[in-house]
Amino acid sequence: MTRLRGGIGLLVLALLWELAPRLGLVRMDTLPPLSAIFLAWLDLARSGDLWTHGSASLLRAAAGVAIAIVAGTVIGIGMAAWVPVRIVFRPLMEAFYPVPKSALIPVTALWLGLGDASKVTLIALGCILPVAIGAYNGARGCERVLIWSGRSLGAGKLRTLVDVVVPSALPELLNGVRTALALSLVLLVSSELIVAKNGLGYLIGFLGGSGIYDAMFAVVLTIAIFGLIVDRLYLRYVRSVLSWQ
Amino acid sequence: MGSATQAEVSGAGGAKGDSHIVVSGLTHVYRPRHGRQVTALDDINLTVGNHEFVALLGPSGCGKSTLLYLIGGFLPVEKGSISVLGEPVREPGPDRGIVFQHFALFPWKTVRANVMYGLERKGLPKREAEARAAEMIAQVGLKGFEDSYPSQLSGGMRQRAAIARTLVLDPSTLLMDEPFGALDAQTRNLMQIELLALWRRSPKAVVFVTHDVHEAVYLADRVFVMSARPGRIKAVVSTGIDRSDREFVKSRAFVEKVDEIWHLVHDQPQGPR
Amino acid sequence: MAIDGLERAGERTPALVAVLNGAGRILLDYGSLIALVIVWEACARLQIVSPYLLPSFTNVLARIWAEIGDGTLLVNLADTLRRALLGFAIAVVAGVALGMLLARSVTAEWLVGPLVSLGFPLPKITFLPIFILWFGVYDTSKVIMVVCDAIFPVITATIAGAQGVERQIIWSARNLGARERDLWSTIILPAAAPQILSGIEVALPIALIIAVVGEMMLGGSGLGGAMMQSWRFADSVGVFAGLLELSVVGFILIRLMAAVRRRLLRWHAEAQPDLV
Repeated sequence: MTRLRGGIGLLVLALLWELAPRLGLVRMDTLPPLSAIFLAWLDLARSGDLWTHGSASLLRAAAGVAIAIVAGTVIGIGMAAWVPVRIVFRPLMEAFYPVPKSALIPVTALWLGLGDASKVTLIALGCILPVAIGAYNGARGCERVLIWSGRSLGAGKLRTLVDVVVPSALPELLNGVRTALALSLVLLVSSELIVAKNGLGYLIGFLGGSGIYDAMFAVVLTIAIFGLIVDRLYLRYVRSVLSWQ
Repeated sequence: MGSATQAEVSGAGGAKGDSHIVVSGLTHVYRPRHGRQVTALDDINLTVGNHEFVALLGPSGCGKSTLLYLIGGFLPVEKGSISVLGEPVREPGPDRGIVFQHFALFPWKTVRANVMYGLERKGLPKREAEARAAEMIAQVGLKGFEDSYPSQLSGGMRQRAAIARTLVLDPSTLLMDEPFGALDAQTRNLMQIELLALWRRSPKAVVFVTHDVHEAVYLADRVFVMSARPGRIKAVVSTGIDRSDREFVKSRAFVEKVDEIWHLVHDQPQGPR
Repeated sequence: MAIDGLERAGERTPALVAVLNGAGRILLDYGSLIALVIVWEACARLQIVSPYLLPSFTNVLARIWAEIGDGTLLVNLADTLRRALLGFAIAVVAGVALGMLLARSVTAEWLVGPLVSLGFPLPKITFLPIFILWFGVYDTSKVIMVVCDAIFPVITATIAGAQGVERQIIWSARNLGARERDLWSTIILPAAAPQILSGIEVALPIALIIAVVGEMMLGGSGLGGAMMQSWRFADSVGVFAGLLELSVVGFILIRLMAAVRRRLLRWHAEAQPDLV
């Protein structure tokens, strides 16, 4: 039911989008009709621009997020399990938390230039915190009784960590990863819009600057829909992982 | 059990004074969004007299709380009728005060602000509302805690605040939904004593939902024993306890009454589901 | 915020022990941060890393001091805060109103509900070029961008809060004589306040992040614009000064918001999360 009316709503929106510029209610170049955008998208896809820039963006985001997930999980769980790790990382996390992550864009560009490395570093740095916080809070919330029963059943310290602490930290950890995914797209697109030589964000900026608006809209919608699909797929994945709850 | 016997049963109870609450032919079907519907209440007939204290007693799932919510006007009456002082019940109103098991205090308001809420809705001038709230708070023994938030109070104190919030509007009917169910035994006993004292000072018709036989006999003039699935009234028992004796809980009459009703509740034949 | 193991320092401990304990606590709470700054400074001073990639901490502080002195910091700060906070304020007011409407009205939910659930996970920053096309490169685009990004957590939190109000709380209010319109202002809004404030707390850093991105892309000064300017002129001291300034701004805003929350929710016996 919700899906159906969501579909109807989108259909109405699409119709309005198509008709408003065609009927002259808005100017063609400020809001190209949906069909023109679709045709522009086909052109971009055929010329290969969409794939080359798209794959560049995707690789950057994937690499950055992967680093953030691994490092964030290790740091977060480590902080919950060992006091020395906590003493080292906690002040750093508290200091880093309020930094508006977009302020890192010029810093990573300064360090690593306009290419992939600066984007990957930016995304990894920006996304590490939500993952680490999720892992830390989740692992800390693990009940002591559970840990004790794990130990009393003969599990070693590391075993207990892997078998008991990590699973019970999972809900909050996965939630942190979701935040990281959303943040990674924001950082990716903004850094590519501001400082880049390729990638979808760069393509948007280039097309907008050249006044090819229907193609610009096509790329914008591509990223938006991609982000939406990633989030939905991730939620589905989380639900299947947490089905024991 | 047929409906004819039920009508007989409730008629035979004999409300004292004029009837204050009249429920007749009330049937309530609970329709969950998923799953099959349940007949929560089946052809309920009962009357409560002016200034009478009655208890609805039964196992969980017998619909006693549902019946209370219907009298309170929180749930719509679909089949049958409920009237209070001759007026059919349509919506909640301050003439029928309610006290819930989990207090339902407004957690963002202090005790005083909680008690004043109903007075403010009535449009009472602030000073008068404050004076009446202060008096009521003193009556339930919360003097000195006027500026505390519910989260800072113990369970018993929260329930005192909730009772004050309801009684300050001086409702002619008091509906209580297992009000002492969440309290420890000692506090519960104390609250029962104080409730009786409050009720004597300002008598009203009280409908008290409980699953504790002892509590029902202790407080009520009449006990409506209910059975579950579907919720029906299977017996009405007048307690006939003389509460002027402070030690009446230890009296033979009291103990026998508890025993009698206990058997009524528990000898429940397995009826069709 | 307490670190385990130092809890026992009571009033009776001798003064010296107390001082040592205090010093130990500071070391535990901020040790690694202090170490980071020292390593940073050393790396820069000893030229382990080129000063272009990592200007020394003291140089960065000196730059910030100079920017305070000549007033540029104040001007840029005012620009950034104006955009971020204006957008944030609009997002809060509109988000709470919209959330309440969606929680209350079936029709509104029918019309706008799917749009909200669709819009939340969307990377809205991609629309910035479109907003530039529509609204130009000045403040309008930046503020609208901030609103678009900051409003969604507020809306969803408000809906969840308003729908999560206990049935018996609402019944109690109705029982005490509250009418429908009383309910929304006197019961549902305050009862949903903890969740609404959580949504607002999520929205605040987003507002700052997006305002900075907008400035970086469109210029128009502000702290983000100034950072990009420094980057273009290879002025790494300026870039790091901007990073530090923005961090302090973020820190202060988050602390202020937390204080507002505590003030508004004095009644709420909530367990403070251990971190952030």
